[in-house]
Amino acid sequence: MRFLVCLKQVPDSTVRVRVGADGTAISTEGITWSISPYDEYAIELALGRKDADPATVVSVVTVGPARARDALRQALAMGCDDATLVNAPEDLSGLDVARALAAVVSELRPDVVLCGKQASDDDQGLVGPALAEILGWPHVGMVTRLSPAADGIDLWREVEGGHEVWKATPPVVGLVHKSEKEPRYPSLPGIMKAKKKEIPEKTIASLGVTPTAQRVEVLSMVPPPQRGGGKIWKLDGDAKGVAEQVARALHEEAKVI
Amino acid sequence: MKILVFVERKDGTPRRVSLEIAAKAASFGETDVVGVMGDRYSPIAWASAVAERARSTGAQLVLMGATLNGRDLAARTAAKLGWAYAADCTDLTPKDGAAEATRPMYAGKVRATVRVPLPAVISVRAGAWTLPAGATAVGVSEIAPGAADPRLSFDRFEATASGGKRVSLAEARAIVSAGRGLKGPENWKLVEDLADVLGAATGASRAVTDAGWRPNEEQVGQTGKTVTPDLYVALGISGAIQHLAGMTSSKVIVAVNKDPDADIFKIADYGVVGDLFEFVPAFTDAVKKVKGSG
Ligand SMILES: Cc1cc2nc3c(=O)[nH]c(=O)nc-3n(C[C@H](O)[C@H](O)[C@H](O)COP(=O)(O)OP(=O)(O)OC[C@H]3O[C@@H](n4cnc5c(N)ncnc54)[C@H](O)[C@@H]3O)c2cc1C
Ligand SMILES: Nc1ncnc2c1ncn2[C@@H]1O[C@H](COP(=O)(O)O)[C@@H](O)[C@H]1O
Repeated sequence: MRFLVCLKQVPDSTVRVRVGADGTAISTEGITWSISPYDEYAIELALGRKDADPATVVSVVTVGPARARDALRQALAMGCDDATLVNAPEDLSGLDVARALAAVVSELRPDVVLCGKQASDDDQGLVGPALAEILGWPHVGMVTRLSPAADGIDLWREVEGGHEVWKATPPVVGLVHKSEKEPRYPSLPGIMKAKKKEIPEKTIASLGVTPTAQRVEVLSMVPPPQRGGGKIWKLDGDAKGVAEQVARALHEEAKVI
Repeated sequence: MKILVFVERKDGTPRRVSLEIAAKAASFGETDVVGVMGDRYSPIAWASAVAERARSTGAQLVLMGATLNGRDLAARTAAKLGWAYAADCTDLTPKDGAAEATRPMYAGKVRATVRVPLPAVISVRAGAWTLPAGATAVGVSEIAPGAADPRLSFDRFEATASGGKRVSLAEARAIVSAGRGLKGPENWKLVEDLADVLGAATGASRAVTDAGWRPNEEQVGQTGKTVTPDLYVALGISGAIQHLAGMTSSKVIVAVNKDPDADIFKIADYGVVGDLFEFVPAFTDAVKKVKGSG
């Protein structure tokens, strides 16, 4: 089976995001970039299938600026087979990103396309469903597990209280929420191999995509309201006394119980 | 302006967030409140039904709750219509042919005000709008789902052993969450007992879900759920940036941690430095008393 994982490079989850000087974007100065967490889970799920069946091919693709090449390199080092960089401006709309990805899908012809459930920069969760819609494929959201089935693949979808199991006869798009195992770290041989691999570069124009979709424009960006300066108690052996004071504060002052 | 409001139902009852949206949307213009017939959400079938309804009625704005299914449906519907799209908005106002909305970005680490050109499909977070007193029901027009894709079929539901009994995290007004400080799954009863007296949902840090003490769906944070309850109680949670991303917008935060320097105290409104095993049982009793006294 052939997998294609669509990944986006985003600020690492440990980055303390700051709003930039113009107040409509974050400051990218000196920040560490990583593969978006859900996309990492998607890679892990696909590589898990490859562990079980070595005939599996796992490709990765990203649409983005030149720095995104590092994210592809990382995916190759984790064990993915090949990578494609589609050079595009960073502010391409989600729908146009999906169009570019659809063009890559028609070239690579994967059976299963995996996306993250949302990229942890715009937090939209649009590109996966939009890609499926453009391709005319079904999609399954909140995927946490893939298992092989007689004539296709089972996708496990996390819902309230459990999982739905959906049977797919490929092609299908999965939007990944989690992997059973933690995403693997690149191995040393993996890193060496990845260094030698060529990463072909395309442009959105070469894929026949001209940006058309209406963009959601950011008017302003602010950090969440500062919190803190809260009331702190030390237990000091008087759990009962402190507990009563906290309960009373929640009732009388905060009025939440 | 015409607004299509999609109502999500659980066991036949509209979700609170859908009622919140239906009530608020009426102040923007003429609303068409619809529900799709059938119990099992199916992206293609439901998105074609909603998109078709929006097209045929001339709606400019499609709104739905930013629930698991709502977000999925909104995205596919937006793509089907080729309309603009914004997810998980915490407020919005129609303005000059667009919707001006606020929404979290960067995993909740910043809040953005965005201009979404109309027509658009937008999902709105639970609790973004207060439900007016008495607005506990809404008239819903039933629409039929479109054709499903034969290449994908629902096979079965596998219940999580410990999940599903409580109010859902996303809609809970109170949440009791625990982290690695709880030491092991055998101590979960402490969390449940407190949650019971508070009428709260239970949540967990990723340390807890990764260790398999609790199901994934209870994870709060950047790669788990984003929650905004009135009360969030964090027990034995250190306050890693990825956990904070999912809960800093809670109205009131209570933290219990034996480490006075734990980051969680930096965002807590009420903090208790000490052993959670001593504090929690006493707190459960104290809450019971306070609630009993009205
Ligand atoms: C890409 C990425 C995404 C992530 N997403 C998430 C996410 O969505 N949600 C999330 O939670 N984490 C997430 N994490 C993990 C996060 O970085 C932390 O590792 C995790 O939140 C730690 O969980 P914890 O606070 O339970 O454990 P710890 O950090 O180990 O903290 C345990 C706390 O318990 C306290 N304690 C111990 N014993 C007691 C006692 N008897 N009484 C009182 N207090 C006690 C300790 O002082 C300590 O502060 C993510 C990490 C990455 C890299
Ligand atoms: N520029 C991109 N290049 C490749 N994949 C992307 C890109 N943007 C988004 N995706 C994929 O779509 C998912 C959802 O992204 P988003 O709609 O931006 O939240 C991500 O987790 C990726 O899998």
